[in-house]
Amino acid sequence: MSAEILIPILLLLAPLIPAVASALLAGHSNWRNTVNIAFALFKLALVTYALAGVASGAEYEWRIAFVPGLDMVLRLDALALLFVTLSGVLWTATTLYAIAYLKGTPHQARFFAFFNLCVVAASGIAMSGSLITFFVFYELLTLATWPLVVHTGSAKAMAAGRTYLAYTLAGSAALLAGIVWLESGAGPVEFALGADLSSFSPAAASLIFALLIGGLGAKSALIPLHPWLPAAMAAPAPVSALLHAVAVVKAGAFGVVRVIYDVYGIETVAALGLGIPLAALASATIIYGSLQALRQSDIKKRLAYSTVSQVSYIILGASLAGPFAVIGGLVHLVHQGLMKITLFFGAGVLAERANITGIAQMDGIGRRMPVTLAAFSIASLGMIGVPPVAGFVSKWYLGMGGYQSGANWVIGVLIISSLLNAAYFLPMLYRAWLKPAAETLPSRQQLAASRTWLLILPGAFTAAAALGAGLFAGFELSPLGWATLIAERIYLR
Amino acid sequence: MSALWLLPLALAVPLLLAAISALPVIRDRSLSLAILAPLPGLAAAFLAPRGEVLVLPDLVLGVTLALSEAGALFLGGASFLWLMAGIYSRFYMRGKDRAGNFALFWNLCLAGNLGVFIAADAITFYVAFALVSLMAFPLVIHDRSAKALKAGVAYIVLAVIGEAALLAGLILSSGAAGGVADISALADAIWLSADRPLILTLLITGFGIKAGLVPLHIWLPVAHPAAPVPASAVLSGAIVKAGIFGLIAFLPLGDSLPATGNTLMTLGFLGAFGAALYGLTQDDPKAVLAYSTVSQMGLIIGTVGAGLAAGLEAALVIMAVTIYALHHGLAKGALFLGVGAMAAASGAAARRQRLILALVALSVAGLPLTGGALAKLALKAPLDGVSEMLITASAFTTLLLLAHFLSLLKPESTGESRAPVMRSLPVAALSLAALALPWTIWNLSGLPLDYTWRQDNLLTAGVPLLLAAIVASVAGRLAFKLPHAPQGDLLALVYTFSRRIALPTQRHISKAGVTLTQLIRLRPLRHADWLKQFADRSEGTLAAALPTLLVTLILALALLAL
Repeated sequence: MSAEILIPILLLLAPLIPAVASALLAGHSNWRNTVNIAFALFKLALVTYALAGVASGAEYEWRIAFVPGLDMVLRLDALALLFVTLSGVLWTATTLYAIAYLKGTPHQARFFAFFNLCVVAASGIAMSGSLITFFVFYELLTLATWPLVVHTGSAKAMAAGRTYLAYTLAGSAALLAGIVWLESGAGPVEFALGADLSSFSPAAASLIFALLIGGLGAKSALIPLHPWLPAAMAAPAPVSALLHAVAVVKAGAFGVVRVIYDVYGIETVAALGLGIPLAALASATIIYGSLQALRQSDIKKRLAYSTVSQVSYIILGASLAGPFAVIGGLVHLVHQGLMKITLFFGAGVLAERANITGIAQMDGIGRRMPVTLAAFSIASLGMIGVPPVAGFVSKWYLGMGGYQSGANWVIGVLIISSLLNAAYFLPMLYRAWLKPAAETLPSRQQLAASRTWLLILPGAFTAAAALGAGLFAGFELSPLGWATLIAERIYLR
Repeated sequence: MSALWLLPLALAVPLLLAAISALPVIRDRSLSLAILAPLPGLAAAFLAPRGEVLVLPDLVLGVTLALSEAGALFLGGASFLWLMAGIYSRFYMRGKDRAGNFALFWNLCLAGNLGVFIAADAITFYVAFALVSLMAFPLVIHDRSAKALKAGVAYIVLAVIGEAALLAGLILSSGAAGGVADISALADAIWLSADRPLILTLLITGFGIKAGLVPLHIWLPVAHPAAPVPASAVLSGAIVKAGIFGLIAFLPLGDSLPATGNTLMTLGFLGAFGAALYGLTQDDPKAVLAYSTVSQMGLIIGTVGAGLAAGLEAALVIMAVTIYALHHGLAKGALFLGVGAMAAASGAAARRQRLILALVALSVAGLPLTGGALAKLALKAPLDGVSEMLITASAFTTLLLLAHFLSLLKPESTGESRAPVMRSLPVAALSLAALALPWTIWNLSGLPLDYTWRQDNLLTAGVPLLLAAIVASVAGRLAFKLPHAPQGDLLALVYTFSRRIALPTQRHISKAGVTLTQLIRLRPLRHADWLKQFADRSEGTLAAALPTLLVTLILALALLAL
């Protein structure tokens, strides 16, 4: 039993040790890679152990006084573990990918140090048991991501970094203001207990909610707080994968989920009438992001707007009370991660190996790079919501959730979003597979000579995972099974 | 182990064959292996117990499979057609590129097609329906010709819209059923739901696109002919039936819905006659057959509509439609494969082939005592009045259209006069099945056997055919020249519209995205430019100014709060 208290700590240390080691081992790339991979695998083993424990009802908690009266709490419940597992699996894939992607480029030690620090922060956000712990890790994430966004050092990257900081710091300020206001009346808020809002008038409680969601919405790219995300596509591909699928936008969305379920509680949010406005904002983001994605001619930029749109599915699910919507939103946290990381891995491979960044350049690339494009295609179809890829499962649950909450318009939003997704993903697939290859495209021989499986296989793996998550959604330990478990615990409380 | 396990096998075998067809070792043989894919489905149609439900809770959202009496006929007919077309494709793809590719999508499409007929819940049904819809696209564009690609784009745009409509309809109806997705529970839930008009519109749109319901049929006359011959055969014979099956499985038959029923009936018969007449303007035999499919599906949809309007008993309508669909699938498969066989034949083989096809064509038109005549009797049996008369009259246009089809078949002079068995067997087997099978399942129609040779029935079937034969032979004697019209009737209008109006207005809009987005952006928005600039400018402003504003606002709020 005493050893089990260590699990949250070990889950934090697993990425922290390689973060420090990467900084220290500058110049020893083989050692650094070994340490990175070893600890990623170690974390996966820990996650597996914890999954078995939490599934059978255990909760691991570790706390220490931060300042007197304010505890740092790390608590591994089912919801935390959903995010930890996602970040653990995708972190491993991204580490392998990043090793291949950055091979031979400068500043790798810096990159891997901050990269791992981001994962520390993401794990911390997931496991935070109190609002203040959450905020500390949330800030760590903001700051640890910045060096990654500006990694290339180009003027464009620096500008993107400034935009990123401006938005996320403003968001953090809002979040902090909200937390301080809330805790001034309700005392320290722990997620296991929720906040006691009795000392606030409904208007004040609503305003605090708006501050919290606004602060978190900056990271999860809710309109109008989204422009940093498309700008940040100036970062290298592994960073985009991390921003879009594992850490940053997910941290924001996860925070929204925590605030709704574990700070305010579903009933309070519904009683204050805050759910529907948030659902409407999320819906507007879904449609707006898709419309903007349709207009982009750059692959990564199109994918970035697609993230703006897809992450709001999670928020939509959280804001519509009702078991189906809860499950749909939570499961999309995982599904969107698997699919979007596949797409960014693919975009990175295209840019790196064939020098393709624009959609118009994709003509005929499918038959030259079949594995990458097959993975890309599966993920694209999943984003559209084609069964049996994972995206369909999210869509079905969200749609049913909308119906259950008496908000039939949600189904309309989902359908329009699906159609827009089809309109911006299918032309890319059409170009890649059916258009004749351009003269400038590297030949099959050239590509075979430069082939690095480490760059190709992570995408193939995540695509297979996205397909598997949909095809075997009925299993107990599938993302859907786990989300159902969380929803049951939320509603039985 | 009961024969119920044949149902999951019917899906697992083609899916497995699809998965291994990507392996380099298998790739070259995958087309031969694909012949085996429909065998478990065929066996299931005969052996699997009816009405028992098999649950596979771990797959997707809990897969449930069951075989109804009608489902078994759809499944058997489709499996047999896929089997024969598979054998034929061994002949057809000989010496052609990308046979492995063809086999991959062939198997996926096959799995989806059979899945539609055995799904017992809405989600499994939707998964199968999406599989057959989307995987038919690679089959349509397999030749990569400009014509095929254009047809493929039209196909995929409508298929995606259909999928979206269907998903919305299924979510709404499952929601109305209290989150249960059992197909048997849905029809009642739809009937009771407050959203009934919306649900029905969505479902009919989704299924209608697949089944060639006018005016949603526009992809069909261009896509079916563009595909390779064996793919055309399954598209027209088996895949459109997925839409028909959806209609009879989900619509609340047995309840009287005059508005929906009459709309469906009108559109159905409009298609039945309109497509047959328009088909006369075509000079590609495969296009003529595609119009014939639209026309025949129109008859079925018309019958469903009439049944829905009058509130006829569900079992009656379903069985009538099923027998008709079964015959049409087999016959249309034989005709499509026959087009390919004729193109490669000469001499005696060509004459034999033409004779067989003529017989099948007469059966489709309803020549008394052929399988087609029985199918038509079964279709008419539950109906009365106008709809029965229209079905009787349709024999006239059907025969004219198919006579036109037969006149377009020109044997290749360089073709082989001895037909290889891979080529002749499928056509012969399908033709035989089309002519004979309705006899063997006649008891399912609930009509006595002597009903088929009753004098008045022989007369009503014979007279329109006689008239059509006279008209056709007079037209042939006088060398009457039929007018020519573009393939894809209304779709041609869409293209003209996009060329004349939409494309010029969107020339300023970004060049990214290809034909698909062009089709989707058909709305001629002159202010699209303005919108785009507005979006760009506001995002720019936001990026620059918003954070500062936010910080100020938050600090102000924080001060207030403290």
